Amino acid sequence: MNPLHEHDLLLSRRQFFGHSGLRLGGLGLTYVMGRAGLSQAHAAPSGLVHPPMPGLPHLPAKAKAVIYLHMNGGPSQLDTWDYKPQLADWFDKDIPPSVQGGQRLTGMTSKQARFPVAPSLFKFSQHGQCGRWVSELLPHTAKHVDDIALIKTVHTNAINHDPACTFVMTGREVPGFASLGSWLSYGLGSESNDLPAFVVLTPNWSSKAAAQALFTRMWNSGFLPGRFSGVALRASGDPVLYLKDPEGVSSTQRRSQLDALSAMNAHRFAQLGDPEIQNRISQYEMAFRMQTSVPELTDLTGESKSTLESYGPEVLKPGTFAASAIMARRLVERGVRVVQILHRGWDQHGNLPGDIRLQCQDTDQPIGALLADLKQRGLLESTLVVWGGEFGRTVYSQGTLTKTNYGRDHHPRNFCMWMAGGGVKGGVDYGESDDFSYNIAENPAHLNDINATILHQCGIDHERLSFKFQGLDARLTGVEHQHPIKEIIG
Amino acid sequence: MIRSGNFFISILILGLGHSSLVAGPELSFNRDIRPILSENCFACHGFDGKKREADLRLDTAEGAYADLGGYKAIVPGDPAKSEAWTRILSDDPDEIMPPPKSHKTLTDAQRDTLKRWIEEGAVYEGHWALETPVKPAVPESAAAPIDAFLAARLAQNRLIFQPEADRSTQIRRAAFTLTGLPPTQAEIDAFEKDNSPRAYEAMVDRYLQSPRFGEEMARHWLDVARYGDTHGLHLDNERQMWAYRDWVVKAFNENLPYDQFTTWQLAGDLLPGATTDQLVATGFIRCNVTTSEGGAIDEEYRHLYAIDRAATVTTAWLGLTGGCAQCHDHKYDPLSAKDFYSIYAFFYSSADPAMDGNIAKTAPILELPAPGQAEALAAAKKEESARLAALESGALPAYAEPATTDAPVVREQVIFDDLLPLGVTQRNTSRNAPVWLDRPEFGVPSGRRVLEQSNGQFFETIITPELIPVTVPEKNARFEIAVRPDPLSPPKVISLVLNGKRVYWGDAGGFEVYNAGNPSKVVSLGVMPEPGKWTTLSFDPALLEIAPGARVNTLSVQMVGGRVAWDRCVVKGELSPAKDPLASFALWWKSHGSKAPADLPGPLAKTLMDGPDKTTDAAAREALLSFYLKRIAHAAEGSLADSRRVWESARVVAAAAAEAIPTTFIYRDLPEPRETFIAERGQYNKPGEKVEPAIPVNFGKFSPPAEPRRLNRLDLAQWLVAPEHPLTARVAVNRIWQQIFGVGLVKTSHDFGSQGEPPSHPELLDWLAVSFVEKGWDVKWLVKELLMTDAFRQSYRADETGLALDPENRLLSRAPRIRLDAEQVRDNALFVSGLINLQMGGRGVRTYQPPNIWEPVGYGDSNTRYYLQDHGDALYRRSIYSFFKRTAPPPFMSNFDAPNREQSCMRRERSNTPMQALQLLNDVQHFEAARALAERILTEGGADDPSRLRWLFRTVLSRVPDEKESGFLTDALAQQRYHAGADAKAAEAVVKAGESVPKNVAPAIETAAWTLVANLVLNLDETVTRN
Repeated sequence: MNPLHEHDLLLSRRQFFGHSGLRLGGLGLTYVMGRAGLSQAHAAPSGLVHPPMPGLPHLPAKAKAVIYLHMNGGPSQLDTWDYKPQLADWFDKDIPPSVQGGQRLTGMTSKQARFPVAPSLFKFSQHGQCGRWVSELLPHTAKHVDDIALIKTVHTNAINHDPACTFVMTGREVPGFASLGSWLSYGLGSESNDLPAFVVLTPNWSSKAAAQALFTRMWNSGFLPGRFSGVALRASGDPVLYLKDPEGVSSTQRRSQLDALSAMNAHRFAQLGDPEIQNRISQYEMAFRMQTSVPELTDLTGESKSTLESYGPEVLKPGTFAASAIMARRLVERGVRVVQILHRGWDQHGNLPGDIRLQCQDTDQPIGALLADLKQRGLLESTLVVWGGEFGRTVYSQGTLTKTNYGRDHHPRNFCMWMAGGGVKGGVDYGESDDFSYNIAENPAHLNDINATILHQCGIDHERLSFKFQGLDARLTGVEHQHPIKEIIG
Repeated sequence: MIRSGNFFISILILGLGHSSLVAGPELSFNRDIRPILSENCFACHGFDGKKREADLRLDTAEGAYADLGGYKAIVPGDPAKSEAWTRILSDDPDEIMPPPKSHKTLTDAQRDTLKRWIEEGAVYEGHWALETPVKPAVPESAAAPIDAFLAARLAQNRLIFQPEADRSTQIRRAAFTLTGLPPTQAEIDAFEKDNSPRAYEAMVDRYLQSPRFGEEMARHWLDVARYGDTHGLHLDNERQMWAYRDWVVKAFNENLPYDQFTTWQLAGDLLPGATTDQLVATGFIRCNVTTSEGGAIDEEYRHLYAIDRAATVTTAWLGLTGGCAQCHDHKYDPLSAKDFYSIYAFFYSSADPAMDGNIAKTAPILELPAPGQAEALAAAKKEESARLAALESGALPAYAEPATTDAPVVREQVIFDDLLPLGVTQRNTSRNAPVWLDRPEFGVPSGRRVLEQSNGQFFETIITPELIPVTVPEKNARFEIAVRPDPLSPPKVISLVLNGKRVYWGDAGGFEVYNAGNPSKVVSLGVMPEPGKWTTLSFDPALLEIAPGARVNTLSVQMVGGRVAWDRCVVKGELSPAKDPLASFALWWKSHGSKAPADLPGPLAKTLMDGPDKTTDAAAREALLSFYLKRIAHAAEGSLADSRRVWESARVVAAAAAEAIPTTFIYRDLPEPRETFIAERGQYNKPGEKVEPAIPVNFGKFSPPAEPRRLNRLDLAQWLVAPEHPLTARVAVNRIWQQIFGVGLVKTSHDFGSQGEPPSHPELLDWLAVSFVEKGWDVKWLVKELLMTDAFRQSYRADETGLALDPENRLLSRAPRIRLDAEQVRDNALFVSGLINLQMGGRGVRTYQPPNIWEPVGYGDSNTRYYLQDHGDALYRRSIYSFFKRTAPPPFMSNFDAPNREQSCMRRERSNTPMQALQLLNDVQHFEAARALAERILTEGGADDPSRLRWLFRTVLSRVPDEKESGFLTDALAQQRYHAGADAKAAEAVVKAGESVPKNVAPAIETAAWTLVANLVLNLDETVTRN
């Protein structure tokens, strides 16, 4: 690449808030404006401080924003979306070897003497115009089936949590690659001048079993520049790290200090001419703006009573999934590109019925409310909502199977994900699993296809968004030939 | 005819003569021709297809020789038929090459060289980085060699160096580069006053000798080595290998030559009579992330570890990326899949397990006894065996079964004190060994050791007595345990759980956390005992409705959210001998479960499990009885009791001596190597062709051993550091260049392959590489050479010309001006504020960290799930010693672009974000530093505001403020005084920032105002920049 061009690119994209949007108070302004010539060439024409990359979007974008609901641990498809009534006849009978097919199992069940089929304990009923069968665990989500495209044949490469979590978010099983949200903010920038492009929430959870870990690499930028990493919006302490002024420092005091800081930095810039100094001045102004915009974001007093109630009783409790769900809507409203909620506790090797009930209590009502809330505000059309885990779970029971209890091991061969909004066709099912929800019967959808679909809805050709890394043109969707799932795209 | 300053011409003079008629040394394409073509032709006729004119490329032989429709750009051997040559000679402005609009012209000498090259056959050479570097002639110049190369290149672009920077800038730049810290005012004074022409060099030499030098150099290498304090995958538990980090610091401080630095890390264990340091260095190989995830497949992880190790070696020494070769041969790069897997084969037969076990000491490990520790351990073990032998040989007292009518006896049974008793199983929340503090400073109520628990949230130690049962007395039963809550991190609540029933002291709300259990009965016994003091807690087990005479099957010692020490846990009361398994051999023999307890010798275990009824052999019975009386039963009076006591204290001494010795991960091969295969498409379960450890074919020379044998890592290391190796020295000097100048001569310091960027100064890179080897791979020599250059010492001024002609400063037309790295940013604030603690080495310290960095991501049972911050001096240690959890690194590091150490990283980027601004303004670490700096200003800065402001400025920035800056600061101080004065309470709060005790050197309002001014200065762009 031509170094000058690269330099321009670097400057114009130096950081997620770029160069423009300088709103200097006090003395600094004159100094900066006096030397503005150097940076004008790099300011984005759109007025956005974090504009898209040149040439993007590649395609007309249906979705401006993505809300990704990641159910960490691997939710059971059999107890939520993949309805298999005929399995009732198979209770406690071993899964036929022809179905199991000698595929690899995790070390946790590969030595089990038997593989008894555990039909779901939960009742399913039909919902919506489309008549889709949904588990009783998800009564609120079920109200929106006509807005939801269900993919029943998602499959992944990894069979254990660490590599599978890394894969679902970065397209690779090993650390070091860029996350989906980072790719989107790298390619598309942000509509918000006051908030980060990619925000991550990690709410608490209710299941009793030891919860699987998350890894910051699930929202890190990997080989992409660090500014594209997801910014955690935290439930306790400062919502954004170091947001709050130290105790005893007032906002006026801070402002007056920042004015002096800007003036001194501008003075230095006048002497040296290093454009990086100007950049730093604007970062401090951005930081100051965030000190206002973030508290405004997290303050729910402006929400109507009915809206709050729709998200359920926990919406005002910081750190709950409900609180995260309403925050996701508020973030998207303010122009944030990607919101990722990672809800832990779905790894149900044992005591699945009890724990999955608790997990659904955490999430179902808020998810239903989020979809309704987005729709009512006209945001669903431009917001792609994605739901899924890193893999699914086995039809056979791990450990003891009884009439009221069972567990399920990891199952990467087929599981369910859904998408809503953002130009996705509602009420459509894609793919079918076999009678045991153990293999794909038709229309497989690799996680890379899912990611290609997400990028596509955001106006990105997944084969054209790449970054040089380790001698490769690295892409989110890897080197195999992957496709957006046309059948679910409106 | 020959213009001075042109570097290519200089080469001709020195190396080739000035005319094609003069026979000179052979032309080298990469050295002599490529730079001419690259400078003048490749912009339009090079690699980039989009910019290519006339469909002609001159960067490859195929392109240059191609038939362009009746003519060819270059016809080897025949300049007259070569269109390129005729165009070069043309007078026609529409024809001549390079065209006038490019503003490039070939000198006569360059033309001659090109002509001679065509005449001699226009031979192209392969990728530059694969040719052994040859030391090029230094351009003619009064300057030292490095500057001569740089200046020649600048001159081509009509640029020159900036004048020398002022002395304060020079010393600050040198100090940060060499030590990661700013200079002190005394050091600045000394340097500024030193009129000797060697002043600068003497200053550099001083910093090169500072122990801080090794720390600064090491932190860069630790990125390459992917060093972390946790395993990195899944549970991401703590691992103990900080000795490797400390060895890296030491290696740089002792200036270990780079060839040895390389060999020790890759093959230290294979060196004859390997020293401790050489073994510790092999930890490099083991720094990769590991897992112990339930269900993970061993073969897969063995493969992934070897991939990571091979890729790290490939990047760190070859400057090549293994990314492509893991799956297939690369289209451009010289490293084939077979090459890659041949390197992989060196690491595939490793002795470390696929599953790390979630423990801190995953074998193979090396014990690192301090002087005297090994001897102490040997002596203690000897003593322990001797005492055991004495106990065993003691005469057995007469034994009679107690009668059921015997009256209850007052007894005291120790459940633990200094050691867990024989035959218990123990586990705890962290899945690591229990932590015993030996003779802690705060004192011990009994014996010499105490059991320590520390965790940001719930932690328990579960003890299951098996060999030595614990029975609740029938009368006057009491449980007792000594406890000392830590005064700096007192837990919210502490508790004991007996058979699933809990007694607790403190706030029951503390148990509303993950995994704190669901006891069937819960009894509060009052408030948390006073922190900082030993208290004996005592309670009647009847409170928990545990019946008299019942057995205690499990005892869990618990706490939530803090640090606590426990000691001497006993149960006392009256118990009838016939109901006491420690008084009745028959009862004890019968009271065991279905599994033999630990710590019982094999034959005895069989007898025990057979039970009294099935045991017919009198000798077997006698042996078990002897074991029981000597080691299990309540000790009788007399010599046997004394022998047991002495043996037990010898056990404690031996255990303490063993645990006092730190350990570190080292690398070992399996005795029998594993068969190794190319993984087809990178997949572990698709083995392809079988491979043996082998040296990649395209890189320099390798002489196989005279006697054919399997190659080992020592062969690999020796190949890497062979003087003719094309890459090792280039990659090393480039990385150090990058460290010192901000960007490498090869900007893609991790990729010297054809996909990477070619060097900005190829001859300089080769000169440095060859010189480095000639100087015996002397790292300090190299660093010093770079620091002595005009390029490094010049000032920074970005004028329009400089920015236009050298936008990225790759030509060094001005000084490199780079933002400090994460560690430097923090260490700088600690240093100028006087808070810093320069203690070196040891286990990672847990500095200030905002809440909820580890917690939202950590696995439920991980021992790095709940962050428990250290206190006191540990908070102010240098950043290189801060604990690094890889799945959630310290934000002060990530925020300033430190990598997460999950894989090797050769180059950090430098971002500039609002998150950094918020951290520098508000992080307690930085704000406390501002307060401490304010206190220094008020005590050391002089008597009046102007001198104090000057002192502040000079302490932080090493220079005095100019008039405008003084004005800004004076105004800022006045404003902050006004604000602080308006709210005295707020001022008090400002002064209390952080955990260091305020020194009260001035009224709070005055200290607060200065704190804000210091905070302002610590946030200046100049402060966080190496200027």
